[in-house]
Amino acid sequence: MNIFESVLMAFGSIREHKLRSFLILLSISIGVFAIFGAGTFVTAIDNTVQNEMSALGDNTFQIKRMPSIQMGRMSRRKYWRRPRINFKQVEELKQRVNLTPFISTSAEGGGEIIKSRYISSDPNVSLVGADDIYFVNYNYDLQDGRAISSADIEYKRNVAVVGTDVIKKIFPNLNVIGETITIKNQQFEIIGILKEKGAVLGNSQDNQVIIPINLYLKYYADWRLSLNVTIKASDKVNLDKTIDQTIGAMRIIRNLKPWEDNDFELETNDTISEQFSGLTSFLTVFGMLIGIFTLVAAGIGITNIMLITVKERTKEIGLRMAVGAKRKWILLQFIIETITICQVGGVIGILIGLLVVWIATIFTGMTLIIPIDWISISIIIATVLGLVSGFYPAYKASKLDPIEALRYE
Amino acid sequence: MESKTVIDIENISKIYEMGTQQVFALRDVSLKIGENEYVALMGPSGSGKSTLMNILGCLDTPTDGKYLFKDENVKEMTDNDLAEIRNREIGFVFQTFNLLPRANAVKNVELPLVYSGMSPSKREELAEQTLINVGLGDRMDHKPNELSGGQRQRVAIARALVTNPAIILADEPTGNLDTKTGDEIMILFNKLWQNGNTIILVTHEEEVAMHAKRIIRMRDGLIESDTENPHFKVK
Repeated sequence: MNIFESVLMAFGSIREHKLRSFLILLSISIGVFAIFGAGTFVTAIDNTVQNEMSALGDNTFQIKRMPSIQMGRMSRRKYWRRPRINFKQVEELKQRVNLTPFISTSAEGGGEIIKSRYISSDPNVSLVGADDIYFVNYNYDLQDGRAISSADIEYKRNVAVVGTDVIKKIFPNLNVIGETITIKNQQFEIIGILKEKGAVLGNSQDNQVIIPINLYLKYYADWRLSLNVTIKASDKVNLDKTIDQTIGAMRIIRNLKPWEDNDFELETNDTISEQFSGLTSFLTVFGMLIGIFTLVAAGIGITNIMLITVKERTKEIGLRMAVGAKRKWILLQFIIETITICQVGGVIGILIGLLVVWIATIFTGMTLIIPIDWISISIIIATVLGLVSGFYPAYKASKLDPIEALRYE
Repeated sequence: MESKTVIDIENISKIYEMGTQQVFALRDVSLKIGENEYVALMGPSGSGKSTLMNILGCLDTPTDGKYLFKDENVKEMTDNDLAEIRNREIGFVFQTFNLLPRANAVKNVELPLVYSGMSPSKREELAEQTLINVGLGDRMDHKPNELSGGQRQRVAIARALVTNPAIILADEPTGNLDTKTGDEIMILFNKLWQNGNTIILVTHEEEVAMHAKRIIRMRDGLIESDTENPHFKVK
């Protein structure tokens, strides 16, 4: 009598009691799926966003009206009262901050239709208004043509830098410098093509058109729009000084009294990833909680089902004892049976989880990472659950009186 | 010639506590059973024969008295020791067969060997050989529900025999069988006895007890009589 045989016996018993096994498997799978799915998904998001954010650069920070990630309703009301950041304020900021020349501004709208002389795109192209520095601050490389220049802004030229996805959709080839595109009755000349970057969280960075910020404000923005300002310090040493100078300048521009709080948000890579890890840890905790509740419920259910099983198999237990099974073997048999079935349920939960995460990564364009750590955690959880919920029924089985058990009908 | 003693009980009692009352299931029973005896333990229900059988089968221990099984003191044994002695020395045959319903004949017969730690290939071989010996060589892969009552009892007997135990303890082995099949089973027991097995038959039926060589009659927790059966025949 060894462990291996007990496991074989357990598999036999799983096959013999199909309904019971199905119910246990179902509850375990759901619980493990919740924990595993949440864990894996958060890991995937984390990875993707970390990669994405490091594209911004260490010495870069942003001035915004509202933080990128908001949680809770109370904070929202506070932020909505803040005045918007307009182009005039940005121009003033550029004059007041002298520690770095890399101050850019941009604004982004939802889906627009871009037309060429051949065909129209889907209404899902993001239209970005930006200045010349924007290309520097965001490390945009061009695969053809040139970026928007300060002269383009100054002379309000109708020019556009276009992502490759857009071009592929509305032009027969990539040879499009000098071609004209139409966005809501306004014509723009294509002066540059963005280098392909790929998608982040489902947003293809190649599916965008960048035009001068002042033209964007004139033709496509309404009064509700608030600009984002991105500022790149000349180096790491100057970052704090630049931040201080920027905050001072913004407070003067926005007429804040000394006792008033900032009515704008300053975000660095760190503050964004802080906000973000707040969100991901919330997701993790949420998934864990659902998983734990499901597993506790499953555990109680398993204990119940195993108690019924022990009752049903009382006579079998009596027989096994009569032919020489020691109490500890009966105990072991039922514990192993419960653990085995829980582990099978765990594996099913993991497979469902992987499937869902895989589908999710397809839709969001994230990279699929097979989370070895979450797989092991899930298996361990399933094993412990089997042990805990199987122990009491198994103990009861092992304490049966063989004479009574043999007589049981 | 006196054969070697397998079971030696002296003045054993079994007392059950029923609330505040003490109920004597056995009172000062003494008994010796030697190797290759064929004994019927007879008595109506409540006579104490089931209690005695459970004690003889090491499923239970007496409240008082002495029980030596092959010179080992059973009364002082732990649950684990009892399990081991049941596994090694005692083969049970039950009225209701008590086979595992989803296991085939071979797997059922193997069961005691599983707990004695024999390797799978060896115990399969032994189980098959034992099934052949009880006349079920052509039914090895059948599950209990594919077998007749008599065949099921043969599987159970093979399970009892497979460990080559010191005694076979059969509790109403023909109780669930028709007369003809019952007779066939009794002939099988007779053959086993001829092969050198020690058999203890527990029954309340005079007719069944008549198959045994020695008949012990019980009443009210006492041995009423212990006699050789004059009608015993070798079959």
